This record gives sequence, structure tokens and C-alpha cells, in this order.
Amino acid sequence: MNCELAHERIVTAAYGELPDDQVHELERHLGDCADCRKEREQLLALKVLADALPVVEPGPNLIARSRLRLDEALDALPPMRWYERLAQRLANNVASLQAAPVAAALLLVAGIGAGSLGGYEFAANRTAHAATAPAPAIAAVKTEPQPAIAQPGITNVANVSSIVRQPGSDMVEVSYNQLTPEHIQGKLGDPAIRQLLMVATENSSPAGVRDDSVGLLAAECRAGHGCQGAGIRDALMVALRYDKNARVREKALEGLEPYVAEDMRVRNAVLEALLNDSDPRIRTESINLLEPVEADTSVRQVLYSVSTSDDNPHIRNVSRQVLSRVPEIQ
Amino acid sequence: MGGAGRDGASREEERLQIRAQEMELIREAQAGSRAAFDALVRQYEHQVLRLALHLTGSEHDAEDIYQEAFLKAFRYIGNFRFECSFYTWIYRIVTNLCLDQLRRKKTRREDHAVVLDHSGDEIDLLASVSDNRSFSNPAKELDRKVLGQQIQAALTKLTPRERMVFELKHYQGLRLRTIGEMLHTTEETAKNTLFRATKKLRAQLAELR
Repeated sequence: MNCELAHERIVTAAYGELPDDQVHELERHLGDCADCRKEREQLLALKVLADALPVVEPGPNLIARSRLRLDEALDALPPMRWYERLAQRLANNVASLQAAPVAAALLLVAGIGAGSLGGYEFAANRTAHAATAPAPAIAAVKTEPQPAIAQPGITNVANVSSIVRQPGSDMVEVSYNQLTPEHIQGKLGDPAIRQLLMVATENSSPAGVRDDSVGLLAAECRAGHGCQGAGIRDALMVALRYDKNARVREKALEGLEPYVAEDMRVRNAVLEALLNDSDPRIRTESINLLEPVEADTSVRQVLYSVSTSDDNPHIRNVSRQVLSRVPEIQ
Repeated sequence: MGGAGRDGASREEERLQIRAQEMELIREAQAGSRAAFDALVRQYEHQVLRLALHLTGSEHDAEDIYQEAFLKAFRYIGNFRFECSFYTWIYRIVTNLCLDQLRRKKTRREDHAVVLDHSGDEIDLLASVSDNRSFSNPAKELDRKVLGQQIQAALTKLTPRERMVFELKHYQGLRLRTIGEMLHTTEETAKNTLFRATKKLRAQLAELR
């Protein structure tokens, strides 16, 4: 790190805006650079000096006076006429439409695709004996066979009643309830299956179903299958924080393992589990997960706190061992 | 699950509930309800006045900014589309008005750690806040007063934008990301502006030694 960058980071660090890993880097630089240490002292002095100009809370008189003046001004405003309201509403609609061209284009393409596919299927049925079938209007339309019961989108899902994975394949059968019970079969990566698995992670689903769904999603995450988006990760974090069943929380924790280092939100969820989870196995597992990122100051703080105050002697011991391996620990 | 986990969940629930209530108020205000708008004013007026008062150093100017900001909010609340929080939206209006005010005042600013009250009389900012470290010590109190005046003088040397970023970060304690949103810029730009502001302030205060 050069001194110019260090000076910038000294300011952001002084205002608590520097990420933990960069704080660590900065501290190392400051250890070796007397000029930058002086720079930091001067900045901290400025912060103290600036506090000599106090922020005065507005007094009740000022508030009352301002309020009264505003009330009078608002009372004096002529009521908005109907055409003004209409114009405002139209302006809002136009503005929201400005944000929609991509969605509109996607819908259009999807519509054309679906229409072409439908037309193609219809024509193919009618000319079953013909030697040549008419070419689809859009060559890019995906024509691979769809699962028999696959649905383009699933709405009004009341709950998920069961999940069965077929042995030796990645096919999953999910039974769920709408107005009448339904079931759907598809690959683990299918969006509809994913959506149902996510619904099944919620606390309102039966414990066994939550266990199955969190287990499958966690396995997908660990295998690196389409877990980059926030959706599944969020579902696993919610399960880890709030699921009533320890087994489900444990599976969620396992699924989050690959993201502890890169995603601060995941790290926070694991830290919360280490601090608060009632199950010692989950707390112990959390320590193991956090070990590769123990240089993060918040991780160190939590480990320190657990090593001194956890009820379970084994956990206190394990966290102490992890801490002892980190030279920066005080 | 542990008690703290449940606490976290209930806090989150409470936060969502407050947010939902505010959204409801905004919708009602958009539909023309004056009572809903008044309720929104009550929620934010204290912060608005505090910011304006500290930035402008004048109760009269702060009152004007309050008036203009909420009138603008009332007029344009129909344009609020929930793309940012209402807090950011109203602060954006206020910071724009304060920036205009700072630009107007830039050439005729006097270096006093005082604010003018409604009748134009001076209120000493430094005298209005007790300092536990120096109470009953007039010499220290005087030093602190002089120092405060020097700080205020140094702040007036910043550009209005630097002044605003420093104000929002140092005195109002907002996150750089929020400041960026309020000033229609990026977090990175807000960070660079803060860096420039602290550099200039240090230079200014070094001259005073």
C-alpha cells in the first residue's frame, strides 16, 4: 500500500467506513510508516477539534414556529385541480414506463417465442405424416422436451407438503398445495422447482419438508450450482437464523460454507449463529466455518466473546484454540 | 433458537411494520390527505431543522429551509415512487436547498460561532451547550469558544459540496453511501469529497496555530 492510498483510508477508517480487511492492511502499513501515523494523529485531532462546534438541537420554540408557518402556507395553497392530479399521475406512469423497456422487450420476445412454439406444435400435429415439417419462425426457440407437468410459473402456493428426490438422479418430486393439492416433477435446477424449494424452507412448512428443502438447496450451494444469486443464499440465511429445527439450521449452515469468505452478510449470519444458536453443535460448526476468515476483526471479537462466555466448555476451548493460532489477537 | 435470534426477528418485524406504516402515510398523502402529510412532517422535522440550523448558522434561514423543503415535498409527493426511502428523498430536498443557501452565502459569510434567532438576535452556539470537561472554568470555556469560531471559519472556506459532505458525515453521522444517494452521486465520489474536505480543514486549522 502506498502512502497516498493510506491517507485516503485513514479518513474512511476514522469515520468507520473502511472494510475490515482493509483496516487490517492499513494497520500493517501504519506499523511501518511514521509519516502515515502522523497523518492519522492529525486527522484524529481534526475530528476532536471539529467537535468543538456543537450540533445544537432545535428548540421547541423553533419547531413550533416553523410548524405554524408551514401550516399557514399549506392552508393557503389552492387545492390541486383534477387535471393537475391527472397530469401528475400520467407523469408518474410515464416515468415508471421509462424503467420498463427491458421488461417489455423480454415479454415481447417471450410472447413471440411461445406463440411460435405453439404454432409449430399445432402445425406438427396436423401434418404428422408429411415428410417435412414447417420450420419454426424463430430458430432460437428452445425445443428440448419439457417435463410432463412442468408449469411456466407457479402462483398461489399455500405450502409444500412433500419433497422426494429420486435415487441416483437429480430429479425431484415436489408436492405442494394451491387451492387443490398439486405436484410437480423436474430437475433441481428448474426455476419452478427452485421456487417451491425456497417456499418450503419457510417456518410454516412441516419440519420434514423444511429439512428436505434446506438440505437440497444447501447441497446445490456446496456443489456451486446456480447459488450465485442472492435468493437461495438469503433463504439459507433465514433458515439458519430463524428455523425452529436444529437439524435444518445445521444443513443451512453447511450450505452457506462456500460463501463465508466472500459474502459479509453470510459471515454475519454465521457469527450470529455462533453467538446465539441454542445448539452447541451448530455453534461448534460455526467456529470451524469462520476459521479461514479469523483475520476479520468482527470474527475475532465474536470468537473472543465466545471463548470467555459460552456456557459450553468445549466451545470455549475450541474458540480459544482458533484464537491462539491468530497472531493478531490481543 | 436463542433469545437474541428471536429479538433480532422481532426487531426486524417492528422495522418492517414502521416502514409499512410510513408507506401507507405516503400513499395517503399522495392521494391528497393533509393529515397523512402532517404526520410525515412530524417524523422528519426535527432532523431537517437540526441539519439546516447547523449548516446555515441561522434560525431564520433554518426556518426558511424547513418551510421551503416541506412545501416542495407536499407539491411533489405525487412524484415519489418508492425507489428510495422517504428519508433519503426528503433529505435530498433539504440538502439541495442548503447547498443553494451555502452558495448564496459563500461570499458574505462572517466567521462567527453564533446563530441568529428569529428576531435577529445572536445566540451563541458554544455557550448553549454545556461542556462537562470545562464547566466552572471560564478560561477553558473561552478557549473552547474561540476554537469553535475557528472551526466555523475553516468550514466556510470549503466549497458548498465539501461542506455538505463533511456536515452529513461528521456532524450528522450518515453513511457515505446514503450521502452519495442524497447528493445524486456515488459513494466513491462522496468519499473523495470527504477526503478533500478533511485535507482543507487541516490546512486551515494549521494556519491558525
